[in-house]
Amino acid sequence: MRILFSFFVVVATLSLPSWGYTDDTLVVYSGRAERLIQPVLDAFQTESGIGVQMLTADSTALINRLEMEGTRTPADVLITNDSGTLERARELQLLQPAAVAGLETTIPARFRAPDNSWIGLSGRIWVVVYNTTMVSPDDISSILDLAEPKWKEKIAIPSAGSIYLQTGVSVIRAIKGDEVTAAFLRGLKDNAGSFVYGKNRQIVTAVARGEVAAGPVNHYYINRHLAKHPDAPIAPLPTDQGKQGMGVVLNAAGIGVTAHTKHLKQAQALIRFLISPQGQRMFADVNKEYPLNPDVTAAPELLPLQSIQVAGVPLSRLAELRDPTMTVIEDVGLR
Amino acid sequence: MLPLLYVVLSAITADPAVWRRLWNTRVPELFLNTLSLSLGVAIINLTLGVSLAWILTRYSFAGSKTWDWLLILPLSIPSYVLAYTYTYLLKRGGTLEHVWQTIAGPEAVVFSPFSFAGAVLVLALNTFPFVYLLARSALKNFNVSFEEVARTTGAGRVTTFFRVSLPLIRPSLIAGLFLAILYVASDFGAVSLLRFQTFTYAVYQQMTGRFDNTAAACLSLVLVACAFVFLFGERWFRRRSRFYQTTGRYRKPVPQPCRPLTALLFTGYLLLVFGAAFGLPVLLLVQWTVTAASAGDISHQFFGYVWNSVSLSGLTATAAVLCGIPLAYLACRRRTWAGTFCVQGAYTGYVLPGPVAALAILVLVSQTVPQLYGTILVLLMAYLVHFLPAALQGMESTLQQLTPNLEEAARSLGARSLRTFFHVTLPLVRGGFLSAWILVFVQCMKELPASLLLRPVGFDTLAVRIWLEASEELYQLAAPPALLIVVITIPVVLLLMRRDQT
Repeated sequence: MRILFSFFVVVATLSLPSWGYTDDTLVVYSGRAERLIQPVLDAFQTESGIGVQMLTADSTALINRLEMEGTRTPADVLITNDSGTLERARELQLLQPAAVAGLETTIPARFRAPDNSWIGLSGRIWVVVYNTTMVSPDDISSILDLAEPKWKEKIAIPSAGSIYLQTGVSVIRAIKGDEVTAAFLRGLKDNAGSFVYGKNRQIVTAVARGEVAAGPVNHYYINRHLAKHPDAPIAPLPTDQGKQGMGVVLNAAGIGVTAHTKHLKQAQALIRFLISPQGQRMFADVNKEYPLNPDVTAAPELLPLQSIQVAGVPLSRLAELRDPTMTVIEDVGLR
Repeated sequence: MLPLLYVVLSAITADPAVWRRLWNTRVPELFLNTLSLSLGVAIINLTLGVSLAWILTRYSFAGSKTWDWLLILPLSIPSYVLAYTYTYLLKRGGTLEHVWQTIAGPEAVVFSPFSFAGAVLVLALNTFPFVYLLARSALKNFNVSFEEVARTTGAGRVTTFFRVSLPLIRPSLIAGLFLAILYVASDFGAVSLLRFQTFTYAVYQQMTGRFDNTAAACLSLVLVACAFVFLFGERWFRRRSRFYQTTGRYRKPVPQPCRPLTALLFTGYLLLVFGAAFGLPVLLLVQWTVTAASAGDISHQFFGYVWNSVSLSGLTATAAVLCGIPLAYLACRRRTWAGTFCVQGAYTGYVLPGPVAALAILVLVSQTVPQLYGTILVLLMAYLVHFLPAALQGMESTLQQLTPNLEEAARSLGARSLRTFFHVTLPLVRGGFLSAWILVFVQCMKELPASLLLRPVGFDTLAVRIWLEASEELYQLAAPPALLIVVITIPVVLLLMRRDQT
């Protein structure tokens, strides 16, 4: 017993240093899937020699965590896949304006917080992926069409916990109101049946296999699937175009420097890298997202962003829309 | 106990609107889901557990001794690992669908793993050994005279089984079911990967999906209240149904040899259950691990995760045993009002599912010592609250078996109490304390929700890695840590069974 005990005292003392993080590494709180952000961070590490440590969790959980940690937070930057969450962090004064040279000329103002507390890095649009052998693109003109009874058992939808569903619903609510949104969600729920997925990728796979005809996803999952399976019978459909259309939902993944960072210089270096052509290229080529630096072109197989009509709800409004949206989603009983 | 109070407090002070919204939208659905899942699992558990125990205690055939311990191995697979192998097996175009289509025609489909049936299947396969173990020991110590009386008075085999044997082993069955249901209701890993909405999962979702924790606290309160009702219900039920051996005429059941065909049938059945609950998933894990290893995916980071898990679990286990010593002592040697209160308080950790324990610690720490948040200590506290009861139970029963006379003798010979403890008590109870240590260690290795919610930066544990990779459907990457946990847990499960038998 005593031997065992002393053994663990030794183990504990030895392991304490390994539990801390060394002083000069940059700590990143990331709400993005690891495989979508790790390659870019790795490139930054090799380029700058600055070590990076990442904590992956749900974006909202990370905000809660930052808030609770207050001035003691080990986090230097916050990366999320949703501008709404970043704006929320700004409102809670968890972020500070990033003073990075050339920022204003590199990233367009609509993809930044007014005071640069957060900066969009890559854009994604919420489109409908459809099976080209089962659906003609004329069948769906608005995303709201997916709630029509004729799609019963023919569509796949994201689960209630997915941020892009919450963002999409927020935008629809802002434009169409609560009633229309709730009816839309009820229709989606009925039509999807058991085809409720936690990941975009699963929806794309289900459509490609012909298990369902269509489903709403972030555009780049379609291109990522096609890059692996060039013959898959799927295509993206940007909905709600034309004069009367509300436009597709656009969201930006972004980054913000925490208010209490102890590594301001390194954090700024990371932002400089991520908005530079080199960093932006990776978002464009590896992830198939839309780079937000206009000097960098999107992957050639993507629909050009300029040709697509985008819903006119500013990114910064997504924050205030979120909680009531969650209530609507839960009231309808989406899972 | 204290953490629980904080949750209750923040739930009670919550805005009535939050309560109303939860009552109207979430609570009924969650209640129904949790209840039906528990019932579904209970029914399958009963069927599997009793039939398996019956076969293995009443018949003897080639290999029946080996099956005896093979059937508890499923306990060594964490629920989230079983769930993730089944999301692979049951997916559309997956292995089981191919098998089923060759039997039932090309149009046949299997049910989705992300459904009620999927959740019931996974959790039942994960928990049936609880019922099996208790049914087995009850059937082994069963007095066959009762059955013989029934048979001689003209009852058939089936009638005898349902009217005599089954009612007699009812207390054990209920105890086994109780364990299984408690496990199902507090499970986070499987239901989160299968996205089946139970109370425990909803608490986690509210914590990670909302900007404040009030709704999570409210749901926790409802869940804990249900657990208490259930706990007292079980006590009451058990008190009402006790059977005693009143006469000295006791005959042990003797396993009957059976015909080759029956033996074959039994072996097939056992193989099916064992394969579904253990063989197939572990085979998959091995295969994926080999693929991952040959692709060079097992990096130095992996060993970092192993170290994180092992050191944290070791530390918690040591802390649990150290905290447990005075508590077990209080419970066994000094029965005072305050002592009982402390001990019962420690046991409340039992009814706190992982996310609730994490929430409780989170609220407690943020209101008292916020500097600790985000450090390893918080995670350690959450583990301790959660697993101290398990340690305490083992230690209490060990200490109870030790007669106080020995200690009194030492004291009367002039040894002071500390000296008595170190030189007399400790050497005698070492074995029991050690197995309590091991039990906590293994539980911590498997722990998922609290680690997920409270881990410091750069401190992913094996369980966290499995969950993160599995929810991205990166089966190969999740396999090596999963296999490691299973391998570590197997000897412990077998050890516990041996203790159970003696």
